Amino acid sequence: MIPREPRCQDEAVAAGPDGQALIGRMQEWAYQKLVPLNASIEITLRCNIRCLHCYNFDRDEPRAACDKPELSTEEILALMGDLRAAGCLFLMLTGGEILSRPDLFVFLDRARELNLAVQLLTNGTMLRPGVAARLASYENLHGVSVSLYGATPEVHDAITQVRGSWRRTWDGVQRLKGLGVAVRLKFIVMRQNAHEVEAMRAQGDARGFAYMVDLTITSRHDGSDGSLATRVDRTQLEQLYRGPLRDLAIRGKTETTEDSFPCNCARGNVGISATGDVVPCVSVPWTAGNIREQSFADIWKSAPVFQQIRGFKMADYAQCTPCAHKNHCQRSRGAALTASGSYTGVDPFVCATAEVAHTLADERAALEAEGPAAAPVVRARLAVVR
Amino acid sequence: MKDEGPMTNESETTWRRDPALPYQRMDEEAIVVDPRTRQVHLLNETAARIWELLATASSVDDLVATLADEYEGASPDALRAEVETFVSELGGKGLLTPRGRA
Repeated sequence: MIPREPRCQDEAVAAGPDGQALIGRMQEWAYQKLVPLNASIEITLRCNIRCLHCYNFDRDEPRAACDKPELSTEEILALMGDLRAAGCLFLMLTGGEILSRPDLFVFLDRARELNLAVQLLTNGTMLRPGVAARLASYENLHGVSVSLYGATPEVHDAITQVRGSWRRTWDGVQRLKGLGVAVRLKFIVMRQNAHEVEAMRAQGDARGFAYMVDLTITSRHDGSDGSLATRVDRTQLEQLYRGPLRDLAIRGKTETTEDSFPCNCARGNVGISATGDVVPCVSVPWTAGNIREQSFADIWKSAPVFQQIRGFKMADYAQCTPCAHKNHCQRSRGAALTASGSYTGVDPFVCATAEVAHTLADERAALEAEGPAAAPVVRARLAVVR
Repeated sequence: MKDEGPMTNESETTWRRDPALPYQRMDEEAIVVDPRTRQVHLLNETAARIWELLATASSVDDLVATLADEYEGASPDALRAEVETFVSELGGKGLLTPRGRA
């Protein structure tokens, strides 16, 4: 007997595997079955801008001479096949600056052959007309994410340390969007641009872009921590959360349970560094193995680091479990690892963010309990803080 | 030679899935992602099998013959009706490419 009438259930999906029910169901399946559905390959560390907050390495210092060579074209092509065989569907290519690799389009051709949905992370400065048109021709290009660091060239370019980068990035993303590509902006909020957050969001809205706002700045994967000097301080954080980022701060709490606590690291997510290190997520520099020494499949299945991560229970996160703010916390294992040296540790900045979000949520709840008459008073108070 | 385009006789038309579309099996089901329309499609077990068969150009007759072998006891008429409806549905969503039989 035919087991079931053939059916196709549809759903709209934004530029990324986030949020929707069908995608959520697939992510849950990958989490439970340990399928690396979402893989990120850092195809190069080379970059044409020198961001102050870069998490790769300090771009104002010479790199160590003992660095391993980056993965070759052939190594990345073989890796893509291995990832597909392991169950990958969403492939993120990131850097460095991906467009500084002339073989990027070789990888995109291969991704298309492998039926992979590709997302790209680029600084946007190299999206010249021919490049943008070529990217837009890929039917499997699922989206492009581009970071911006200011609403004005002065602020943005001071962070990238490249004059003209703000203009070139905006030209590039508008060009790409005009060709029908799903472009998502990432506004990275720092000490240097916190005063422009409202203007950045207004630009994104006015030009019709989807965007996210991120305050996460971590120390670097080379062990240096000069990047942290760009992070907003506690006072700025509170001002932002009470002001232009209030809507993000009061997104509401998520009940923390044994099931909800672990993230997708080493379960549905995996990252591969520019030199072949396999990590639980591209932002978590905890190496499980290297594809030059061991097959990806073996690392994924049996690397002790991955086994350990998959075995963590909520109680292993000793500082988080008793925390009063955990239901308001946007936990980041990469930030925790780079800040504390432990995957199960904490990043004090993330803790402070949770605390402020919790305070705001409580204030909002109290306000709602008092009734509508109380609202104008509090709004006036927030306006002063802002 | 003049291109006469695809043949219009339904039984002669072959269909092939868009070879560039991302998809992944999820146990018995399959997910197809279409970045052009920002849609994701969940195919049930039978639909996922048809999607696999459509990696090579196939007519409704081809599909029905294969499925009839695989699903013992299925009524050929019911099978044909289901396959025709499903292929037409996927074609309407732009997930398949129709071709005249060579």
